[in-house]
Amino acid sequence: MGLLEESLDDNVLTTKVDWLLNWARLNSIWPMTFGLACCAIEMMAVGAAHHDLDRFGAGAFRASPRQADLMIVAGTVNFKMGERVKRLYDQMPFPKYVIAMGACATGGGPYFKYGYTVMKGVDRIIPVDVYIAGCPPRPEALLEGLMKLQEKIKRTPVIRRPAHTL
Amino acid sequence: MELQAIHDTLKAAGVAGLLGCDEPRPANKKEKDPGRAGMPFLLVDPAEIVPLLTACRDESRLQFDLLIDLTASDPAADGDDLWVLIQLLSLKYRHRLAIKAHLPKSALSIASATAVYRAANWHERECSEMFGITFEGHPDPRKILLPDDWAGFPLRKDYEFPTEYHGISCE
Repeated sequence: MGLLEESLDDNVLTTKVDWLLNWARLNSIWPMTFGLACCAIEMMAVGAAHHDLDRFGAGAFRASPRQADLMIVAGTVNFKMGERVKRLYDQMPFPKYVIAMGACATGGGPYFKYGYTVMKGVDRIIPVDVYIAGCPPRPEALLEGLMKLQEKIKRTPVIRRPAHTL
Repeated sequence: MELQAIHDTLKAAGVAGLLGCDEPRPANKKEKDPGRAGMPFLLVDPAEIVPLLTACRDESRLQFDLLIDLTASDPAADGDDLWVLIQLLSLKYRHRLAIKAHLPKSALSIASATAVYRAANWHERECSEMFGITFEGHPDPRKILLPDDWAGFPLRKDYEFPTEYHGISCE
């Protein structure tokens, strides 16, 4: 691209469309305002000044699934709530991502054996991109999970996407 | 006012269904039995629960104006009865009362306390879905925590865990 770039002005950049779209997406992952249990308290801490989720462009918690890109399932999902979680996920526009935060959302957590109404992992109803261990995970762990999601988005082909994906 | 005095006051007021005062079973260290925690309680006949609660609320020397808790227990080790447990508090006299009624598993029905204490409404709904007790005359006998189509009573000792719910495996 050397010849082309030399013929342009200094304030014109050349790049790949895939790279540009993914760069825009991964730096503006707006989560949905949505918490189910104690993990949500840690999620709120991540959103607050000390851990500052806004550094990643992900601090704009949207009050509507229609405006959200990311669903952080922060807490215990029981069957009654599971139906609502599924509906909220269905209402989110593509591209959409899910983080299963903590032991409960990952696999039922402490309720695995005797939790008669607890769903043993939110991935039984919606696809999960990143799982975060912990009960609840520390705020740093959620940030790590968000960075893992950003890495995943960075690898996603946008223009030439595989036929089996949406 | 102590429990025995409350019992005597109710008896003097002509309240039926008083089966005496009792206290939780103490621990038996030889058999590693932890016993049962709790306060001394008034044992009552479930058929007389509404007049009894009304007397507790309205009797001038008792004035139990607050229903603190209404719950149940399935102490399978102690026989086949379910217990309905009610706790009252008098804000004026600062005394408390624990009431216990035994319900046989063959006839799990008791009159609703909502006519006397409106606070009993949600407690009875939870009690009903968790233990399968029918509260006769309850104004709104829906489930409160569980999904509407939930089968079985989770807090009973003989409860069998579901294997799936709406096609989602529980295992």
